[in-house]
Amino acid sequence: MTFLWNASGPIENDPWTDADGDRPILSLEAALQSNAATIGVQIEPADDVRRLEPILDRVALVAVNFPAFNDGRAFSHATLLRQRLGYRGEIRGVGAVLLDQVPLMLRVGIDSVAVTHEPTIRRLKEQRLPGIALHYQPSVIPTTDGEGYSWRRRAV
Amino acid sequence: MYRYDEFDRDFVAGRVAQFRDQVERRLKGEISEDAFKPLRLMNGVYLQLHAYMLRIAIPYGTLSSRQLRMLAHIARKYDRGYGHFTTRQNIQFNWPKLADVPDILADLASVEMHSIQTSGNCIRNVTADHFAGAAADEVADPRPYAEILRQWSSIHPEFSFLPRKFKIAITAAENDRAAIQTHDIGLHLKKNAAGEIGFGVYVGGGQGRTPMVAKLIRDFLPEKHLLSYITAIMRVYNLHGRRDNKFKARIKILVHETGVEELTRQIDAEWEHLKDTNLTLPEADVAAITAYFAPPELKDRAEGWGQLAAWKKADPDFARWVQQNVRPHRHPDYGMVTISLKPIGGIPGDASDAQMDAVADLADEFALGEIRVTHEQNLVLPHVALADLEPLYRGLVAHGLATANSGLITDIIACPGLDYCALANARSIPVAQEISTRFGAPERQAEIGELKIKISGCINACGHHHVGHIGILGVEKKGGELYQITLGGSADEHTSIGEIVGRGFEPERITDAIETIVDTYLAIRTSPDEIFLDCYRRVGAEPFRSALYGAAQAA
Repeated sequence: MTFLWNASGPIENDPWTDADGDRPILSLEAALQSNAATIGVQIEPADDVRRLEPILDRVALVAVNFPAFNDGRAFSHATLLRQRLGYRGEIRGVGAVLLDQVPLMLRVGIDSVAVTHEPTIRRLKEQRLPGIALHYQPSVIPTTDGEGYSWRRRAV
Repeated sequence: MYRYDEFDRDFVAGRVAQFRDQVERRLKGEISEDAFKPLRLMNGVYLQLHAYMLRIAIPYGTLSSRQLRMLAHIARKYDRGYGHFTTRQNIQFNWPKLADVPDILADLASVEMHSIQTSGNCIRNVTADHFAGAAADEVADPRPYAEILRQWSSIHPEFSFLPRKFKIAITAAENDRAAIQTHDIGLHLKKNAAGEIGFGVYVGGGQGRTPMVAKLIRDFLPEKHLLSYITAIMRVYNLHGRRDNKFKARIKILVHETGVEELTRQIDAEWEHLKDTNLTLPEADVAAITAYFAPPELKDRAEGWGQLAAWKKADPDFARWVQQNVRPHRHPDYGMVTISLKPIGGIPGDASDAQMDAVADLADEFALGEIRVTHEQNLVLPHVALADLEPLYRGLVAHGLATANSGLITDIIACPGLDYCALANARSIPVAQEISTRFGAPERQAEIGELKIKISGCINACGHHHVGHIGILGVEKKGGELYQITLGGSADEHTSIGEIVGRGFEPERITDAIETIVDTYLAIRTSPDEIFLDCYRRVGAEPFRSALYGAAQAA
């Protein structure tokens, strides 16, 4: 069973459906062809996320796929979506999402995750994330700065 | 040297707590070994042939005596009384229990040490010239920049799951002692005509089964752009580096397959967006970090000159040690001392707890409490007055640490090999020991002169055989071990990859083969000033091949 979560807790009544439903999450190619007013799109690791730029004002969900725990391309996709394209809608981490990646995902602007791994779901329900509140580099999400050196940050 | 502030302390404490939680979840079965693997690796914990191995970061190879004593304590309490210094200026322990690792990390944190990112597909310990801050030939101390990179790369949210490991090295001298051209990124700190600091940026060096020399992609990157430019390189690599085959996943393959011009274009295009963002380094921050590395105040000790001459005259062994293991310091009354961890017939890079304690004590007494680890698996005391060399030497002799072989044929780099490593195909340590014993006589080593032998027990090349003047690669053949020889490699400012000389040698014949090569060199060198590498570059492989295999086979 897939469990959906964002920083405030479990997500209820998620509107997004599979490809056959009325609010499908499309592939990048299908999304670029779509005339829908509200688009959900899934970015695969090899996709160039910057191609979304012309339709971005209609995109409400970008699912970034982690096909394997050790495939970190989606961290760059999310960073580019937020910092380069200025995307403000939801970014959802999907695929092989495990607890210990979640703090890093949040830092690069991924705001929700779809999880099937039971121990991960348990910890997310308890809101017990294994992150560290001190960061040695700026990233996407808002943080305090001026922790001694320009590159340091503290979670807010 | 750099000292932790509250931020660093809290960060490392947070990391220890995080890993303790991960280990508990692993032991409870909530994390599979597959999913745990990248987590433990990013904390330096490997699963080896017989046990877990813990690799501890020694940033840019700089240690205080207090830290070295803690490493001795860890060797005693959690391991079997010794540690192994590595070619990336780190130390590893071969026998810790997984359940003890969080406690070891807590002990390390008490002396501002950690094992963050000493393994795994992330940015590894940033290495630097082991003579940094003391060498007469450096433009500026490279360590402040290594420290900035260490901080910036720690748990980087975008770059913690790269296609493969990523190694950065930095040197600030024309004579490259940090082997920057064999790294994923090599930085050559230099000054421009206006006296401003910047970096020559090399990308795509590496060893392993596809050795490549790094390419210069930017001749002078101004200091303030260091983080933004490296971010651009990392992002291009994270997105486009190959993930379908771990043996083709390093950035060197991306450079090779994309072409250096096209890849440079992609990096520059990415950098255009990053160069004037919050990644720009303020001068004040660079200055603040640099202040931690302020050169120590060294009193004039001119009396050492006369004393040194007298001591050398009285004791030929001491004279030989000074000749081989002491290098000129930028202060004329001082020297930079290499403490060899290559005793004749010993295991390269190993040090016992007692030896580590002894070096810490000697560093406190004679060398301002500062120690360096070299990528050649030795230790260095960077600031020793010539007037203190003799008592220092006596102290080292007492602990078996005064082998006078720095840069000589017995100063061998070797990986742990099949004695420890799960990846190895062949043993490395016994080969190093036998060669060391064969050539151990001081007169013979001196006659041969500078000659770097490097031994790897498998194609992953942790023993850097590709860049050995003589490289030895252990392979498995029909269930036995076979050793291939390469000649002419080098990891300095004229980096080159050694060439395979011919078919391999069985374990019982490899030392004879090395002796044949050495004897051939001695016979054909133009003078004792022509070191082996220069001789090889002049004459090529042919004379060595003939000597090893006979003229008929060589043709």
